[in-house]
Amino acid sequence: MVALKLIPQILSWAVIALVLLRGFPRYRTTVSAAACSGFALGAAGMLALFRFLPGELCFGLARDVVGGTFLLAWGVSVAAVYRSTGREKAMSWGERIAQTPPFAAALALASGFIAGAVCACRIPGSEGNLLACLILVLAGVALVFAALALERVLPASFTVSLPGLLVLVAALLLLGSSSIIRLDLFAPLTMKVMKFTHDFVHQFFESMLIPDHLFIRPYLWGYIGLLFGKEVGFWGGLVIWFVPALLIVLAIRLERLPQVSHIRQGAARRRVTAAAIRARGFRLVVPVLAVAVLSGAVYRSRYPSVEYWDPKPMPILASPSGEIFIPKKGEVNLEDGQLHKYLFKQGGKEARFFVLMTPEGKLTVDLDACAICKPDGYGQAEGTVICYYCKTLIPLETVGKPGGCNPVPVPFTEKDDGVHLDGLTLINTWSGTIQSTARPKEGGK
Amino acid sequence: MATIETSGLTRSYGDICALKPLDLQVPEGEWLSVMGHSGSGKSTLMNLVGGLDRPSAGSLRVGGKDLLGLSEDGLARFRREFVGIIFQQHHLVPYLSAVENVMMAQYFHSVPDEAEARTALERVGLGHRLRNRPGELSGGEQQRVCIARAIINSPKLLLGDEPTGNLDHKSTVMVLELLKELRAEERFTIIMVTHNQEVAVWGDRTIYLDDGVLVREERTRP
Repeated sequence: MVALKLIPQILSWAVIALVLLRGFPRYRTTVSAAACSGFALGAAGMLALFRFLPGELCFGLARDVVGGTFLLAWGVSVAAVYRSTGREKAMSWGERIAQTPPFAAALALASGFIAGAVCACRIPGSEGNLLACLILVLAGVALVFAALALERVLPASFTVSLPGLLVLVAALLLLGSSSIIRLDLFAPLTMKVMKFTHDFVHQFFESMLIPDHLFIRPYLWGYIGLLFGKEVGFWGGLVIWFVPALLIVLAIRLERLPQVSHIRQGAARRRVTAAAIRARGFRLVVPVLAVAVLSGAVYRSRYPSVEYWDPKPMPILASPSGEIFIPKKGEVNLEDGQLHKYLFKQGGKEARFFVLMTPEGKLTVDLDACAICKPDGYGQAEGTVICYYCKTLIPLETVGKPGGCNPVPVPFTEKDDGVHLDGLTLINTWSGTIQSTARPKEGGK
Repeated sequence: MATIETSGLTRSYGDICALKPLDLQVPEGEWLSVMGHSGSGKSTLMNLVGGLDRPSAGSLRVGGKDLLGLSEDGLARFRREFVGIIFQQHHLVPYLSAVENVMMAQYFHSVPDEAEARTALERVGLGHRLRNRPGELSGGEQQRVCIARAIINSPKLLLGDEPTGNLDHKSTVMVLELLKELRAEERFTIIMVTHNQEVAVWGDRTIYLDDGVLVREERTRP
């Protein structure tokens, strides 16, 4: 089962190894040795981190490192477009370094390290699963040897440009990480874009750059309204996500053809030009593949294979004094670490909430809504709860604490036999929360 | 070094032997005329030497390449890089202009270059007919477009399958003069099949085929 879960990560690693070997065909031995070492170090390092640091911190570190490769891909792609304009014809020092064996080894080592760490994040109970880690390392090394054999049968005309190589490696790491909900970067990116756009437009209103005036016609408000929609984050995120790979495609398309005016014979001149065009076409394969891989990462992020635990809310009543009581060991076991949802109705109003025992063993009662998103509710999976609206993952350790997209805590008292909370307080908390977040047509589940 | 070397070259179609074991050497830069009656094996020899057909037996080396050992792709590459062909029926694309017909050959070779195609047509005296379609050209002009198309990729070997068969005397002389000039400039080898003795004498050497057998050979120029 674990092996099945590791398929996206391990396949990504195999392709990374293959592309690295084709990117540095003169240093096959160096690259394969560095890639194997990096993978082993990454997997072992992540395992060690899980032993000594809290899980959330480890996942955060891994996510940041993968995010760093994405930023690197951005930088490289912008530089590649700049270079393709031909403004700086002499080979830069960076390009000279990129053709040396130490650079090839360092790149293979770093790629292997990150890929190994991402794979290790997929192993359940990483805190002590030494055997699984060992098998993972062996599989990673075996795949490097398989890539080595496969690379030799690839056509010689299939060449890889360094920017294309870097973008594809970053894309493959993103694909691997997007299959692990706590390492996924696309959902947080869309959230950031959405929040940034909302804040930006809000600031425009505040500073009167968009004046609330009669001359702004209704259809114009319709367009402005789009900026406040949920989809603005998704589409904006897509742009940021795909731009590096698309810039590399553009850079390769803009590459200048070799000077042939010194070749006297026309056919020979055209032959050189045709060979350059053909080689350019082959170099396009890698960034186009990166676009496909990034699309896969978006798909994995939007439609994760994990099934969220999302029980139907159970109707619950208050006592005549207005107190709601939920026994710890009643119809459900409140201390099983799973999310238990309830629906409370009073005086024509209703409130949805859940009870959950955190990993520290504390019971917490929270609204099935947060203070900033539409109240689409939460699901639970892999040590987190997820806000269905904005796809933000909330580690179980932080559930019960207010702020951000965390579920809004509800005051309650815990006694030996169960939890007690005030019905009126619950209704008021719910109403106060969704008043600012729900929309008339789409409010609540 | 001989451009073409054959040894026991044979081509059979079922029971019919179109070309019986043939030993032939054509040095680089030679103009070889091939004569014979219909069905004597002239076109079969042309097709084999040009890489359009494969022999049934024997060996065939053209420009140092063993054509029998080439794959289909290798043979296509050989034709593209090494051979130019001029047919009696011009085989020009009727809806393309003269310059576009020449550029089409460039396209299949590498990449089109209009300026170079124009220059080639100017070399064959058709600088004023660049945009005319084949239907708007005389037979001699069409054949000159074919020559421009055949030489545009700088072949080492130019094959002519009765290139003057459809032309009047004046046009025939014009085409042959043109081939002579181009050969002097480009130094390619010419193998030209013809029925006409007057045309054959333009070559350095003439071979005569009869029923697939080389029966006679004469040097027309020292």
